[in-house]
Amino acid sequence: MNPGPRPISTNRYGAPHSRRAVNFICRAPQAQSVCLTGDFNAWDPRSHPMKQMPDKVWMLTLELKHGHHRYAFIVDGQLTLDPLAQGIARNDQGERVSLVPVS
Amino acid sequence: MKTTVAGKPAAHPASSTKKSAARPGGKIHPVVIYPFRQPGDYADLGPLYQWVASLGAQGKKYARPITVMDRKTFFANEGDKRFLDFRHSSVAHHSKILDRWCVDTCQMWYTGLGAALEQGAEGDVYWLIPGDFNYGTPVGQEILGRLHDLPEICLELEQDFCVGEITTDHRNSKQLIDTYGTFALLYNWFPAEAREIRQYTERPRSEFFALGHRFLREALLRRWYPYEQTVVLLLHAVSARLRISRFSVGNISDLPEGRESLAAVVQQVERTEGVLQSLWRERHQSGPGWIEHYRALGIQSEQVRRTALILLQTLLA
Repeated sequence: MNPGPRPISTNRYGAPHSRRAVNFICRAPQAQSVCLTGDFNAWDPRSHPMKQMPDKVWMLTLELKHGHHRYAFIVDGQLTLDPLAQGIARNDQGERVSLVPVS
Repeated sequence: MKTTVAGKPAAHPASSTKKSAARPGGKIHPVVIYPFRQPGDYADLGPLYQWVASLGAQGKKYARPITVMDRKTFFANEGDKRFLDFRHSSVAHHSKILDRWCVDTCQMWYTGLGAALEQGAEGDVYWLIPGDFNYGTPVGQEILGRLHDLPEICLELEQDFCVGEITTDHRNSKQLIDTYGTFALLYNWFPAEAREIRQYTERPRSEFFALGHRFLREALLRRWYPYEQTVVLLLHAVSARLRISRFSVGNISDLPEGRESLAAVVQQVERTEGVLQSLWRERHQSGPGWIEHYRALGIQSEQVRRTALILLQTLLA
């Protein structure tokens, strides 16, 4: 099983317009700052800062609507793919980004 | 829209302006490729067609599924009552059967996708579903539960091609063939495209994929190769700078399967080489001096193939 970001609820057959909480986890122990960017925040590199946990991983829980979302981590200002993501696509700038399904 | 990283140039400026044919609201056309060799029981086909029935029940989202069945499969089993019953009560009940004579699986794809395209429209998405997978097992069930993501990604994110990847461990024969055979040959014949394809997938011969109307139409109107058509589609998509996605549909790394005979491995590597050679020639034969370049690549390709087969023989022994 790919351990990328997953909805906290695993009900695949939920209402199509429902929202689900998704845990995003980034392993960058030496980073000074990590933000989450994606379709859901119009690729704003600063609006969703992640919090470093005691074990040094960066985490953010976000409610996302049903469907597929593109995202990436901004690690110290650099766009970074999630190595544990379930998929890869390109954003509208042509950069490779990660994919997460929410159902 | 805000930029992702201030000042960073777009890696693919052309793709940023190219809009896909797929769009939210389009219809999804499932195309099931019935197994060429009829399995001894219906432990896998039964669950597959129950799932196909569930797609057919969602008429607003899905077109009526199509099943392509090779006539050789039919005639090899025409005296088998269980086969005929299953064909009538499950396959024909939940999908439209296309009975065709086909030289290979890729011709079955061509037949099914072509028929689906003729029923479709701009904005629709076409979804290939191989029938010869162990859908009755826990892994197969997991894959059935995720396959719908492929066409949905095409629709929701306006992608031209979404390839489904089954994660395997590094000793799985399909993975070894792709690592030492497919990619080695791709790097020889199409080095730039190979680098791009590898950024998306480690399984360029996957039989799980979905693609948009415009891209499928374009692909069907070109020469359709009898083997390794997914590699050809990826090459077309990368060359045309279309929008490609990869999505993991399952993981079989823990299962003791994936061992293939050496003869089958040799055949797969030789087929890949043949297709890449033909495609390269087709793309370059109008240019000056192409024949010298072609010969040089051919000599290298033979070395690559021989090395791949030596490695695969050792690794799969």
